[in-house]
Amino acid sequence: MSDSFERIRRARRALGLAATARGVIVALAVALGVLLSVFAVEAIVALPLPLRRAVLPFAIVMGATMFFWEVGRRIAPTWRASDEAMALWFERRIPSLRYALVTSIDADVVAPSPAGARALADSALEAEVSRAACALLVRPLATLLIALVALFLVLWGAPTGALTRLTEPRPGDTFARIGTGARAAGDPLATIVVRVVSPAYTGRTVEVIDDPSVVSALAGSRIVIEGRGVGVTAQLESIALVPTEQDGRWRIVLTVPARVAGLRLHGPARDRVLVVESIADSMPVVRLDEPTRDSVLRTARGTLVLRADVRDDYGLANGGFEYIVSAGAGEAFTFRSGRIAARSYGPGVREARIEGTLLLDTLNLGPGDLIHLRAIARDRNDVTGPREGVSETRTIRIARADEYDSVSVDPMPPSEPEKNALSQRMILLMTIDVRDRAPRLGLPALQRESRRLAVEQSRLRKRVGEVIFTRLGENPGEHAHFDGDGHAQGAEKPLDPDQVLAAAERAVHVDATRTLESEGDESPVVAINRPLLEAYNHMWRASTELETARPTAAIPWMERAIEALQRARAAERIYLRGRPPRVVVDVAKVRGTGREQGTPSMREARVSLDADRVGRLRRFDVALAIVTAAPAAAADSLLLLRLSLPVRDRAAAEALVIAADAVRRGGDVTAVLRRARRALADAPTRQALLPWGG
Amino acid sequence: MPDFVFATAQYDSGDWDSAPMVPANIIDSVARYTGIDVAPTGVIVPLGSRDIFKYPLVYLTGHLPVRFTDAERTTLSEYCARGGMLFIDDHNHDVDGQFHRTAWEEVARAIGPLQDLPNDHALYRAFFKFPEGPPTTSHELNGWGDNLVHKHLQAVFEGDRIAVLYSSKDYSSEWNFHPDNKRFLSVDSTKFGVNLVIYALTR
Repeated sequence: MSDSFERIRRARRALGLAATARGVIVALAVALGVLLSVFAVEAIVALPLPLRRAVLPFAIVMGATMFFWEVGRRIAPTWRASDEAMALWFERRIPSLRYALVTSIDADVVAPSPAGARALADSALEAEVSRAACALLVRPLATLLIALVALFLVLWGAPTGALTRLTEPRPGDTFARIGTGARAAGDPLATIVVRVVSPAYTGRTVEVIDDPSVVSALAGSRIVIEGRGVGVTAQLESIALVPTEQDGRWRIVLTVPARVAGLRLHGPARDRVLVVESIADSMPVVRLDEPTRDSVLRTARGTLVLRADVRDDYGLANGGFEYIVSAGAGEAFTFRSGRIAARSYGPGVREARIEGTLLLDTLNLGPGDLIHLRAIARDRNDVTGPREGVSETRTIRIARADEYDSVSVDPMPPSEPEKNALSQRMILLMTIDVRDRAPRLGLPALQRESRRLAVEQSRLRKRVGEVIFTRLGENPGEHAHFDGDGHAQGAEKPLDPDQVLAAAERAVHVDATRTLESEGDESPVVAINRPLLEAYNHMWRASTELETARPTAAIPWMERAIEALQRARAAERIYLRGRPPRVVVDVAKVRGTGREQGTPSMREARVSLDADRVGRLRRFDVALAIVTAAPAAAADSLLLLRLSLPVRDRAAAEALVIAADAVRRGGDVTAVLRRARRALADAPTRQALLPWGG
Repeated sequence: MPDFVFATAQYDSGDWDSAPMVPANIIDSVARYTGIDVAPTGVIVPLGSRDIFKYPLVYLTGHLPVRFTDAERTTLSEYCARGGMLFIDDHNHDVDGQFHRTAWEEVARAIGPLQDLPNDHALYRAFFKFPEGPPTTSHELNGWGDNLVHKHLQAVFEGDRIAVLYSSKDYSSEWNFHPDNKRFLSVDSTKFGVNLVIYALTR
């Protein structure tokens, strides 16, 4: 009895091994079959890289699936079956057993009959197991053999690397595709491979692109364009490029131009257009975190903590803080500068934090001195750079003793005298320019330009006069009343600008040729405005000289006016930037109180298309007409149309490139052409950013 | 949410908050001259945030060089393409034009090149009539631009609509006063701001 059980267990094990072997063979055959099928498809249609990358995993998954299916189908029933069922399986296959095997393992039967025991001993049980195992293996083995032979035959005639295109696909292996050589013999532009070698500082690897219509590369990159065959010439815009030819391949090397350009490849059979787009390197972005605001320090002692964040798209070279100390007043300023916490970065550092401290005690600062601080960083661009990014500038001012009680931190814009000083400087610069050009201008032109400046000078003088007048008592500020303002009207009436100016004239009725001397009985208001009064007078002299076409004589007066304005500025409070005050407008109160009435204009019908767009659509339609007859020419036409697009029309540019690629590949291109035409006709919509400077 | 909320762009670089009174002043003028349901206070909206799409008109100013972040550039580009209007005003008081030059380059990079806006454009008659084009300010002698008095504003168009309006006329200084003081003006200089709002809301 135990012998019978042992026989059944051996048989079960042997059959299990055979089923496993069958599963492996079937899996291999299926995987090879998948590869062969894709190989056959590849001979007809070039499969894109993502699809080819999926072929091997797909074949492995298919093989594994078949393996588990086979094993599950063959082994599981065997192991699940009881010993009695196994015995009956043998009894059905070997009738001569006469149920001896079944009875030998039956617990209710004490012992098999002598005849049965003999039959069992003489049975060909092992032989039957062998036969069953062979039956399991023969057909799969044959299938596998056929697959292997087929693969060998295919590889024998295929170019080197053809199988690798499926098993280890990578960009640039287009030339290993079956039939490439034959196609290249007639048309060396049928297949091209482009390698983009980015500048070394970027640390980027070589990018390989198969058969592109557009190559986008960093400015300064080297582009290598390769194809099989001979007899190709090229032209980048108006520059002729000479390809090198070696081992049946042509090769063109060029550097990415600054602007988008079309590379025209001329072959024996046809021409082809390749669009080369330049991507500019971006400058480092620097954000100064501390000090957070401009400030005024009472004394120049202690330390300032400096913090900044810097980042760059390809890598930082160095960073740090810069400061400029400006000391002096009026037109006499001295400047000192220096760097703090300067540091260099190794390759690959794209983000960094700079920290440092500024020791105020070491800067020899005096009252009124200014420290201008900013963070700065440079990138590693050694081709078109390095590019330098700077943060906003913080200004730290050391207060003067006489302004300790008037230092204000109110957030306000620059004061009026400061603006006037700058305006005066602008007029001075223009006057100097006219003076320099005077010998070439001739008298009429000199008079004309000089009088134009005189008008500007008078206008500025009038503005200064208004400021002076406002401060000299007749303050048209919070207490002035006007018709219709809702206040009880007294004897006061609004003054027109001429009256304002006359009042200012009266207020400054002094000899303009001398500096105003301090007088004992003058009011504090007059004292503060004294420099403005001086400036006002100097401006009057300057405008008089300009009126008589004497810019050279006007310049000293302008310089004195600037100097006076600077003093007026120095007498002003210090205003700093900060969180703006929150003003809540009482909308209900002011609603409809405007003294003037406006009228919403009628909307004008939109212009459907501008002339440029119409022209581009016309060119598109021409390309459309030849899509069927000459798809390669149509694709080139679409690419040339893309080159003519405005830089900002990215949506149309991308749609045209996609359409050109689709037309070149063949098949149904209706959808992509429809999308491209819509993009050309519609208002520009953008989906991607332009490169810096693009 | 009211029909119109005045939004000031907060950008990563520069002094975006240099004209704190302009929003209140324009809000006041919109209420004063029109029946538009306007929010009583403005909002500050980061240029790189999606919040910007809530506001049809966004005001951007500053003195310092402008350098948009990638996020700001992307958002701004999409904002203009989707119908928003960005009003940029050069608040500069120096003569080297740092804001002007950098802002122009950033706009060109993100949206498109600026071009002169004709002085008979619909913007100048959207509500109040400005037959001479953009109203002159008392501050524009300071800035960088085409001349002492800038003859034109500049714009980037989306179709025939202004997507970006650029001014070298320093309206930020001209309009940067408390709206309560408007009663002292013989001519309200903020009227042009109403045109901006009307144009942005209707085009």
